[in-house]
Amino acid sequence: MESLRERIESFLYYEARLIDEHQYNEWLSLWTEDALYWIPCNSDDADPARQAMIIYDNRDRLEERILRLTSTAAWAQQPRSRTRRLLSNVEFRAIDGGYVVEANFLLAEIRRSRQDIFAGRAIYTLRGNGNGDGFKIVLKKVLLLNNDDPIDNLTFIV
Amino acid sequence: MATNDAVNYDALVREDRVHSRVYTDPRVFDDEMDRIFHRGWVFVGHASEIPKPGDYRLASVGRYPIIMVRGDDGQVKLLSNRCRHRAATVCQIERGNTRFFRCDYHGWMYRNNGDLASVSYPDGYDRSFRKEDYGLIPLPRMESYRGFVFGSIAATGMSLKEYLGKATEQIDLFADLSPEGEIDARGGIHKYSYRGNWKLQIENSMDGYHPNFVHKTFFGMLKRKGMQNPTAHFGGRSIAVTRDFGHGHVMLDYRECNRKAPILSVAPGASEYKDTMVARYGADRAAEIISSSGTHLLVFPNLVMIGVQLRVVRPISADETEVYLYPTLLKGVAPELNQWRLRGHESFFGPAGFGAPDDLEMFERLQTGLKNDLDPWLILARGMNREHRDPDGTRVGHVTDEVTQRGIFREWKRVMTGREDESEQLENARLAAVD
Repeated sequence: MESLRERIESFLYYEARLIDEHQYNEWLSLWTEDALYWIPCNSDDADPARQAMIIYDNRDRLEERILRLTSTAAWAQQPRSRTRRLLSNVEFRAIDGGYVVEANFLLAEIRRSRQDIFAGRAIYTLRGNGNGDGFKIVLKKVLLLNNDDPIDNLTFIV
Repeated sequence: MATNDAVNYDALVREDRVHSRVYTDPRVFDDEMDRIFHRGWVFVGHASEIPKPGDYRLASVGRYPIIMVRGDDGQVKLLSNRCRHRAATVCQIERGNTRFFRCDYHGWMYRNNGDLASVSYPDGYDRSFRKEDYGLIPLPRMESYRGFVFGSIAATGMSLKEYLGKATEQIDLFADLSPEGEIDARGGIHKYSYRGNWKLQIENSMDGYHPNFVHKTFFGMLKRKGMQNPTAHFGGRSIAVTRDFGHGHVMLDYRECNRKAPILSVAPGASEYKDTMVARYGADRAAEIISSSGTHLLVFPNLVMIGVQLRVVRPISADETEVYLYPTLLKGVAPELNQWRLRGHESFFGPAGFGAPDDLEMFERLQTGLKNDLDPWLILARGMNREHRDPDGTRVGHVTDEVTQRGIFREWKRVMTGREDESEQLENARLAAVD
């Protein structure tokens, strides 16, 4: 039987692979109904009550994001981005009903012959224990190193 | 640049078309910096960004690095971010609060109003060195309208009020969405960049012809949610109009579309908000403000105001541009209404939004297409056959017409060729008569 660390890391790797291989509907099925996919803008601790975020998707908006990515008229993804990401420095702690998991990531994105590198730390709240039904993502908050610098296109999934 | 290399701007801009070179030639870009950004009024920031004495933020006017700061005396100032000693920048952090700016190279210290406070080891200078001669140099001109701070590197020229003209009415509509008549421009900043000319962003911001094509997926989503679908606002039979107020200030006017069902009518707390607005402004004015939904205006050359946002265009080179979006908060409304504004802004704008990134994709496609100049012209003729002038001189056309792009290039050509505008001609004629 896998250890808790193995179950958590396997889940993160699985999530990363679904994104990198454009399996968006499978990726969407990893999320809970009360999902929040969040990329702060300008600073890691920016307050959503008073400031705009780069992404602040509830379940409804996350579904729209996937609809856009799977359509052929989202021009910022025509042609689409190719991505691969590495995850490391995984740390976690138990909370009621699940875990808070943090991991550093390094993401290479290539589109129109130009390669960009994004890096940062992703903080997840996962529901479940990784056995049987696995985990579900309640929250994924991505702290981008360059969240206060001009970015030309972040329409792929980080 | 030698005189015989001078670019002939009359040849590059005609009434119904512009030449590819206006978007691609680095010499044209240099001239734009000198003649547009280093001479005329340029938007710098909003005073609400620096509410307290000592608050500052870095800014730029064309290629000039400056600091917008509120001195201890409470006055907003635009100071050069350049030490008077050996030119190093004296402020490195994008925003903050300070009493002093210190040059880290040799330790010269300036007060937050720009005065030179101290030089290190002053006995190295004799009595001819007077500290009062070496403050941070303020921009030659600064004026503001309703907290919108503009700077100019030219010491003389028309006043800001004269320059803005009828655009002030639209700025009023934007700010008056607050029942206190004040916006707060500290709602975060979306920063994005693209590999294309800066004018592509301002033309696109004022382009009522593109939304149904570029933003098809966004409108599809609104339809999916059963929300009001604005496709008709952007179509060939829309009742919205384009307006050109002169000086390059142009707008897309959707007020007629919004009058029956303003966007704000679906905001949380909409009826309370409306009551507050009616109490503050009276029923007619409140209805006018709410139906304007925050206007859709270009203040030439670098400020766009759309809905909740201020959009500031920062030209970097002929084919590189940065854009900062400042979603604004309204003072005197429920927090839920401001959050609704922020979440609505995020849904379309920013580097991961569902709308604006598709515009940036068009700019890069366009900048690539420009390299093929077998036919070097871009056509801006749409609606020339049906454009008309209001009694006040405003040019008006259908919302899908290129009245706005023509208005931008009319001003661009006037400035680039160094010609006076009509009001300057009149003023000079008046002065000549007095002499």
